[in-house]
Amino acid sequence: MNATVYTIKNNMLTKIRSTANIGLTTIPIDVEVDVATAGFPGFTIVGLASKAVEEARERVKTAIINSGFDFPPKKITVNLAPADIPKDGAAYDLPIAVGILIASEQLPDEIVFDLKKQFFYGELSLDGTLRPTRGVLLLALFAKNITGSQLFVPEASANEASVINIPVYPIPTLHRLIQHFVKTKPIDTLSYLPIKDALDSEPPEFDLSEIAGQEQAKRAIIIAASGGHNMLMFGPPGTGKTMLARALPGILPPLTEQEALEVTRIYSISGLLPPGASLVTKRPFRAPHHGVSTVGLIGGGSNPMPGEVSLAHLGVLFLDEMPEFPRSALESLRQPMEDGTVEIVRVAGHVRYPASFTLLSAINPCPCGYLGHPKRTCTCSERQIARYRHRISGPILDRIDLHVSVSVIAVDKLSQSLKNNPNAITSCQAKKMVMDAREVQTKRFANTKIYTNSQMKNKDVKRFCILTPESENILKLASETYNFSARSYIRMIKVARTIADLDHKKDILPIHVAEALQYKQMV
Amino acid sequence: MKKWNSVTGKHGEDIAVETLKNKGYAILERNWKNKFGEIDIIAKKDDIVVFVEVKTKIGELYGLPEEMVGKGKLQKVRNMATVYLHGTDVPCRIDVVAVVLTNEGSVTRLTHYENVY
Repeated sequence: MNATVYTIKNNMLTKIRSTANIGLTTIPIDVEVDVATAGFPGFTIVGLASKAVEEARERVKTAIINSGFDFPPKKITVNLAPADIPKDGAAYDLPIAVGILIASEQLPDEIVFDLKKQFFYGELSLDGTLRPTRGVLLLALFAKNITGSQLFVPEASANEASVINIPVYPIPTLHRLIQHFVKTKPIDTLSYLPIKDALDSEPPEFDLSEIAGQEQAKRAIIIAASGGHNMLMFGPPGTGKTMLARALPGILPPLTEQEALEVTRIYSISGLLPPGASLVTKRPFRAPHHGVSTVGLIGGGSNPMPGEVSLAHLGVLFLDEMPEFPRSALESLRQPMEDGTVEIVRVAGHVRYPASFTLLSAINPCPCGYLGHPKRTCTCSERQIARYRHRISGPILDRIDLHVSVSVIAVDKLSQSLKNNPNAITSCQAKKMVMDAREVQTKRFANTKIYTNSQMKNKDVKRFCILTPESENILKLASETYNFSARSYIRMIKVARTIADLDHKKDILPIHVAEALQYKQMV
Repeated sequence: MKKWNSVTGKHGEDIAVETLKNKGYAILERNWKNKFGEIDIIAKKDDIVVFVEVKTKIGELYGLPEEMVGKGKLQKVRNMATVYLHGTDVPCRIDVVAVVLTNEGSVTRLTHYENVY
């Protein structure tokens, strides 16, 4: 008889290892399957199982029969231990099915399992094939810390685990899994794919050079991309705000290995990785529509899922027509913008997701859009304008470092730009500048958890941002004149730091501070 | 069709009664019913009153008889048992007897599950 099956009072008991994901934390779960020899036939699952797990009963039963095995007409009890952690999702289908097959002694005796080291994870469909299951990367990251561990995961999701150097078996069907153990048709482990080979950069959707004029905005967008600073574009309709935003992904530096893993973890748990994909290779660029709810933006649900802010982690969150967003949704951005993480609290527990994003927003100056237009007249009343401006609160604006006016461009300049302007900066050049500036930052923040200047905490600012005396004077004078908040003051130093990095200077010179100041909102 | 089902059921119950008698059970009632339902067999052994639900199937091609006894059916038997005992505190239990017959009516399998509720 199989070594891993214990016989207790004629009952067959087996224990299969799997994992549960609570937010981004992975907890080992023991799937205990008991097939009793006495007792009225039935199939119960206990261990704080959600509806999706309860329904595993029907899926497992049908999948076992359709894979050519017998579903034992016996009293089957499945316990998901530890019993006090809520389990959700369909990933327990495979461990339950394997447990039943072992405990009902349907497998040949010569199969030797090493159930302490083998992790089973995946959703079964009725015909016994394994469906793509979310969270495989998290399982792999967890199993990496256990020596000798092996993963048995659905073939369609297995690539997620290929960037972790452990044996991963991609399982197409339950039947094939058993064939693998019987050694009639062994399954090969996935070959290890080093992360840096998976990363690639794609050509941008828009090139910066395609946008007519707007030199200041382009400069600001390069600064934003270099240091991860929040940016707000302000101007009448049709001047290129959205185009500038669309050009941003093209100048962002590629993800580093560590960053790619961090981002992919979030996409893995959200189930947003397409089947067969192994890694998020591009920096995220999320542009939610303004109808988004607070939960959609921040994350939530009874089993809290990441929202747009977390999906934009280490990338860009673009809010087009920012005043049209629900106020509650905008205000909820305050905590993640400051901390770089978002803490979601629900009855079931609390979950922390990383949310270190660069906010890029576009707004019109007034409801009609033509306030301050050189030719057209604005048709809004003072009251309407005041109300429109009020939709974005001071605390949010205070957290935005780069305020740029994207103004109307004259027709002759526009026609000139359509004829290939050689002076216009291309995305390729801009990307080079950004990557150089990021390299400086990577060197500076080696051995810390910071990637960009905007992520510095106050103590880091003190350590890394050395202002020359003249620079400090300018900053002091400006703060007194315009009554900047303490936060603005610190944030301005960070922007100046990025500008100095773009300039390849070690110290922050007055000209860097002066440039940082001109992007600050002066009202 | 229905008519034949009831004939099959009756035949299965007869077989179950025989088996219980052989096991030393005293049969108290058969098809004890009121307007809420019916208990197939009420038997007694070692001073324990046993309420028996019998489920009969011809062949196992369309499912096992065990699968056809759901939670609802057992709850019904339990309610009926309470009525039968008038709420008195007598040691009792609910059993299920699953009978599988061949087309000709001979028994291929008979399983007696004790204390299923």
